[in-house]
Amino acid sequence: MKRFSQLAIPYIVWAAIMLVLPMALIALYSVTELGNTIISFSFTLDHYVKFFTDPDFLIILWRSILIAVKTTVICLILGYPVAYYIARCKEKVQNILVLCITIPMWINMLVRTYAWIGLLSEGGLIWKIFHFFGWNGSELLYTEGSVLLGMVYNFLPFMILQINTALCKMDHSLLEASADLGAAPAQTFLRVTLPLSLPGVINGITLVFLPAVSSFFIPKLLGGGQYFLIGNLIENQFITVGEWNFGSAISMIMAVIMMLLMMAVRRIELRNQGGKGE
Amino acid sequence: MKKGNRPFGKILMILMIVFFYLPIVYMIIFSFNEGKSLTSFTGFSLRWYQHMLESNDMMESLYTTFSVAIIATLISTVVGTIAAIGLSKSKKIIRDIMEQVDNLPLMNPEIVTAIGFMLLFITFKVEKGYVTMLLAHIAFCIPYVILSVMPKIRSLDPNLADAAMDLGATPSQALVKVIVPQITPGIISGSLIAFTMSVDDFIISYFVTGGGVKNLSIMVYTMSKRVNPSINAISTLVVVIITVVLVLINVAPAFLAKRAKKDEIKGRRMMVPAVAAICVVLAIVGVRGLNNKTSSRPYEGQTLYVYNWGEYTGENILRDFEEETGAKVVMENFDSNEQMYIKVANGEAYDILVPSDYMIQRLIQEGYLQKLDHSKLDCMDKLTDDVKNLPYDPGNEYSVPYFWGTVGIVYDKNKVDIRDLEREGYNIFLDEKYRGDIYLYDSERDAFMMALKALGYSMNTENSQELQEAFDWLVQCVQTMEPEIVMDEIIDNMAQGRKALGLIYSGDATYVMDENENMGYYLPETGTNLWSDAMVIPKNAKNPELAHAFINYASDYAGAYDNSSYVGYTSANQEVMEDLSGEGGDFEGINAYIPRSDNEMDEVFVYNEATKKEISNLWSKVKIAASNAD
Repeated sequence: MKRFSQLAIPYIVWAAIMLVLPMALIALYSVTELGNTIISFSFTLDHYVKFFTDPDFLIILWRSILIAVKTTVICLILGYPVAYYIARCKEKVQNILVLCITIPMWINMLVRTYAWIGLLSEGGLIWKIFHFFGWNGSELLYTEGSVLLGMVYNFLPFMILQINTALCKMDHSLLEASADLGAAPAQTFLRVTLPLSLPGVINGITLVFLPAVSSFFIPKLLGGGQYFLIGNLIENQFITVGEWNFGSAISMIMAVIMMLLMMAVRRIELRNQGGKGE
Repeated sequence: MKKGNRPFGKILMILMIVFFYLPIVYMIIFSFNEGKSLTSFTGFSLRWYQHMLESNDMMESLYTTFSVAIIATLISTVVGTIAAIGLSKSKKIIRDIMEQVDNLPLMNPEIVTAIGFMLLFITFKVEKGYVTMLLAHIAFCIPYVILSVMPKIRSLDPNLADAAMDLGATPSQALVKVIVPQITPGIISGSLIAFTMSVDDFIISYFVTGGGVKNLSIMVYTMSKRVNPSINAISTLVVVIITVVLVLINVAPAFLAKRAKKDEIKGRRMMVPAVAAICVVLAIVGVRGLNNKTSSRPYEGQTLYVYNWGEYTGENILRDFEEETGAKVVMENFDSNEQMYIKVANGEAYDILVPSDYMIQRLIQEGYLQKLDHSKLDCMDKLTDDVKNLPYDPGNEYSVPYFWGTVGIVYDKNKVDIRDLEREGYNIFLDEKYRGDIYLYDSERDAFMMALKALGYSMNTENSQELQEAFDWLVQCVQTMEPEIVMDEIIDNMAQGRKALGLIYSGDATYVMDENENMGYYLPETGTNLWSDAMVIPKNAKNPELAHAFINYASDYAGAYDNSSYVGYTSANQEVMEDLSGEGGDFEGINAYIPRSDNEMDEVFVYNEATKKEISNLWSKVKIAASNAD
């Protein structure tokens, strides 16, 4: 239906200005020298060299990816069963449960993160519960654990909702067919449900991994200033150091790495779709 | 289909709900706390609600959050759905390219997207504010809508629209009556995600806003200098509104029409956020409307843009100033001089800035400030001589002092032996006796000041060798002492006595000592940073006349008293300073309140671009070393 294809034109123009141009600007800044204007500039690759020749920066990058991976895995492990449970409830209950998961997201993310500070800090509720059960450490807050907790708390709903959407979309008669043909419940799950929910899983991973890898206020609030991630490094370059060119270079590096990672994940989805056709 | 009890799923679900709602419940409870603490409940009180309602800033941030979210959701849902339908019928190559383009904000870390928008607006000289925030929100919301709608369209039979048209439907009928209903679940979840992303957004808004326009996230971020339970109050308000709207939508129709059709129930899911948000906006507009008074005052209807440190003004000064002059004050906050500088250097217009000494020097050097009209200022005589006529601005041609003080060590008298402090000075931060029990302040200037002073150097050194030694000193500290590098969290944490030692600004120490009498403030003999923050008017100020009026007001007794007594920093107003530190004053007996003036080692920061850059880079490295030490 070619006629409908014209509907995309205004958006293509908009996307060129609002999505492509900004990235082009970052790319431009990342290979130029000096100043916050584009009127006078000279090309250089120094910013990239600076990043890749310094082990400290590389460690930060690695750590940021690592904590985002941990967050994503935890969200997947916790989120999938929850999404599955919700998908198998009656529709009325489903709506309520989905709402229950969505509501916290409407309450500001920073506010919810602050609430954790009160819960985790010395004398807070969770701290007291831990002590009650014989834990003797002094710090819950400002540890890697608290950063991880903050990230899982903030991003888990995205995972649940995405997987849930995929599961609800699924044709339930397929499950019955599978059972009728003699598949055990576990087999049905592995062979039918899981592959069909994969697009949701992929979307969920995207929606969790990306904010997690670049978050700078969760590490700042729950990790303290000594928990420095790549997002903090970029923010620092733009907000306080004023080295926009170096900051742009780090942003480009991040963007490219994320593209590659996400393309790899998407490939899993594609392969899965290809497999079905055979 | 097997149903069964599924106890595992049920338990997990319950735990999940507890997990999600525990912080929210906790927040609601503590919004009614009488005290300021976030860990101990001392009594029931509504004072934080009163505080919230009186704060224009808070109510306006609510309005901004929800109005941006509603408009962005509506526009991006419509545009995104249409674009998705259009793209699905486009040539494969266009479809593939656009998929990649859409992936830019989705596949990019949020901060990269945010920086892209910021560079875009700055490059094309678009004044940052409400409109830029809205544009950015629409831009990052549309791809989420497309992402949700696309799979639904893909799963449609491609001949569906043709079939409809063969049966006599016009293209638009085919679209609205056949395709859209089929993909409604995708549209609903897409708009839900868009709304949620917009309401919750911090990073992108933070980089693209300007002119004092704040959403809830930005306000919370800048208000967090001190524990401020009115943040809990405003969040509770949001929870209550959403709950009420939910109940109205889910319960009321059940009473009215029990035979509601199934697809209507589905539709409600999308209506919920929209209606909730509309109610909020109406409520806020209502509250704002009540605040409008009309009378003839000197600056009626004008607006003053102030760019100040977070939590750096008294409780009443802005409102009092507004009432007296009829002007409206829009305040934006920064948490470092550098942050402020970057905005000013990029042409954002403010009427008043409150930078520190060395930054004023830089702003004057680079021609960003205008000379003050001293014929309009009647406040200079009231200010203490200690902060007038300083090297960064001889004769106060450009600046009028606001607060001043020192940087020193706040310590718990029960945990720290004063003799250790006297013997070691700043080197106490390398004393393993206090390992794991210290805070460092996350400011490059002051961290290096401490290290340089510990080593006996000038804090204004330009000598790379000395800077390197200071760097090594700091690295040793973060690698062996397990310090926590904090910003203003130090204030509440020390007031609660959580650690033994910390590097702190004198004004914050005053506040801490006022809250907790076990705390002391010590200034090492090897010297400190004698700083002052002053009000200046940038060249591109839109209303210098009103700015002069504000400078007078903030320097006058009433304004200065309100500022200083609330924030704890030392007032530049001589009389206020004497009254607050004197007998019966709020800060009687608190040594941090009176800056030291008799030590020759104390210095004022001097700006030097090369050194500043070197220190910035080294401090980033110290923080990296700290995180790698864990």
